[in-house]
Amino acid sequence: MAEEFTKEELTLPPCKYEYLDHTADVQLHAWGDSLKEAFEQCGIAMFGYMTELDTVEIKHCSEIEANGHDIESLLFHFLDELLFLFSCEPFLICSKLTITEFKAEGEEMRIKCKCYGEEFTLGKHPQGTEVKAITYSAMQIVNKPEQSRADVFVIIDI
Amino acid sequence: MVVRQYQQELEYLEKTSPYCWRIKKGFQPNMNVEGVFYVNSTLEKLMLDELRNACRPGMIGGFLPGVKQIANVAALPGIVGKSVGLPDVHSGYGFAIGNMAAFDVNNPESIVSPGGVGFDINCGVRLLRTNLFEQDVLPVKEQLAQSLFDHIPVGVGSKGIIPMNAKDLEEALEMGMDWSLREGYIWAEDKEHCEEYGRMLNADPSKVSMRAKKRGLPQLGTLGAGNHYAEIQVVDEIYDKWAACKMGIEEKGQVCVMIHSGSRGFGHQVATDALVQMEKAMKRDNIETNDRQLACARINSVEGQDYLKSMAAAANFAWVNRSSMTFLSRQAFAKQFRMAPDDLDMHVIYDVSHNIAKVEEHIVDGKPKTLLVHRKGSTRAFPPHHPLIPVDYQLTGQPVLIGGTMGTCSYVLTGTEHGMLETFGSTCHGAGRALSRAKSRRNLDYTDVLRKLEYMGISIRVASPKLVMEEAPESYKNVTDVVNTCHAAGISKKCIKLRPIAVIKG
Repeated sequence: MAEEFTKEELTLPPCKYEYLDHTADVQLHAWGDSLKEAFEQCGIAMFGYMTELDTVEIKHCSEIEANGHDIESLLFHFLDELLFLFSCEPFLICSKLTITEFKAEGEEMRIKCKCYGEEFTLGKHPQGTEVKAITYSAMQIVNKPEQSRADVFVIIDI
Repeated sequence: MVVRQYQQELEYLEKTSPYCWRIKKGFQPNMNVEGVFYVNSTLEKLMLDELRNACRPGMIGGFLPGVKQIANVAALPGIVGKSVGLPDVHSGYGFAIGNMAAFDVNNPESIVSPGGVGFDINCGVRLLRTNLFEQDVLPVKEQLAQSLFDHIPVGVGSKGIIPMNAKDLEEALEMGMDWSLREGYIWAEDKEHCEEYGRMLNADPSKVSMRAKKRGLPQLGTLGAGNHYAEIQVVDEIYDKWAACKMGIEEKGQVCVMIHSGSRGFGHQVATDALVQMEKAMKRDNIETNDRQLACARINSVEGQDYLKSMAAAANFAWVNRSSMTFLSRQAFAKQFRMAPDDLDMHVIYDVSHNIAKVEEHIVDGKPKTLLVHRKGSTRAFPPHHPLIPVDYQLTGQPVLIGGTMGTCSYVLTGTEHGMLETFGSTCHGAGRALSRAKSRRNLDYTDVLRKLEYMGISIRVASPKLVMEEAPESYKNVTDVVNTCHAAGISKKCIKLRPIAVIKG
């Protein structure tokens, strides 16, 4: 897994997410200057619930693709792909996501994303909470391009 | 959601007994049947507070209260009897957690809903007994807790240690505990004391996505995180000596092991896949529901049947999972006491699932009917003489295992005839959350929680420190309130109370 990364790739983005109250589960609230950034932040927020992200080094990069028929399902499948990346080979825990293709209009929406991180290792990465599934429950996506602001809210089942 | 003031909402609710409330039609649109929920005065307050909060003006980013969710389920096509809320009910995904609903299989409109089962398919509780007593275990309690923690993989990112390849997984999905038996992980009599004998016959692994199998393979034989646990418990109280005797529990102080876990990433992915499929089926068949989360499909549609077959495979996965951890627990005890698990009498008392949908025969309005019973956060509780419970429990009624939370008591109940009539043979499943996870993290202190557990004489091994606050007893409803309500309402009967002395958690 000895891959070479540029300095830019190794630079982590600022933290633009928080965890909100929900009785049984947790609600992720992520934001950014664009919808793309809010999506990236939302993915990181999910990984941040699984471990302490400052223990994660960037040693590996995987590329994922997610499709959706509307914006909600696009976000749903994007997060589901990320969860899948963590749950089995390569067991990747990510501290940085870079969306390289973001098509959020029309019938067939698509995201391609580079996921930077390393294999989850007991002993190195503190065990946080396990994410069972992504849900549509109270999912909200608010995009205000004129104000350069986007917010997403997702409840993950834990 | 209908927008009304809290006072107006209350007009649709009627207290019919000190333990039971009725939800009248009209509380939510299109209700086919009425709703009902069982609470005592303490739990009633929590339930109504949830509703009052949801009625506050200007609520955004909020979620539906449990009582509204029960009513939305009552609006699903093909539902019979009532939509039932058990005493531990709280808001969940689509269905409330602690919600049961039965659908007439012979009505072509009837539906099956993955939300009525939950993401953790066949999450359940297993109880093992031993012939040890508290004084035998106390001197080695720390070592034993550590040994259990070392044997059972726990927490996020842990991998199973039972050797498995893709072919083994296929067989395990199809065979359930018959696979565990064939591979030598369990005893033949374990199967007897398990719902469905640890194998759902309609399981079809070919209906399960590759994705679910990939997620499942590394996680087989792992406990998981969240509210899952393995506990060493001692008998604290015996309410029904005769029934306890039938379960091999003789006296106070006897040591038991309780395992609470489910189908792990496998079941979560099966549920996720089904929800995606069903969204399409709903559009095609024009199925209208009050809530997008109540994604469902007709029982007899392709999607409905595929879900039931893959859900059964996930149920089998969960039984194999709990069986693998039974094996590991027996090993841990055997090593500590240098005795064979056989000689320690480590038999399975019973194994219940509290997230599942099953086809069962029930009497509705005096006539026998075949129903698809959804139990989400609800445990089957069949009465004495029911044909589906093992011969050992024919006279006592099915043992019902109610897991508490870290540091609180757990209970064994038995099923009753009254429960069979009122709730389709269903009862509560555990404590049920009262505080949100984030609120628990803010309000509780890690060291305080640990000190309190130590004071109570409970050893704890936990993989994630954050979880200690989230899962602290203060975050949950009082399990004793929940169980007493079930007992008082007559839907199940108290038999044994267990107190933890060591907890292993993710």
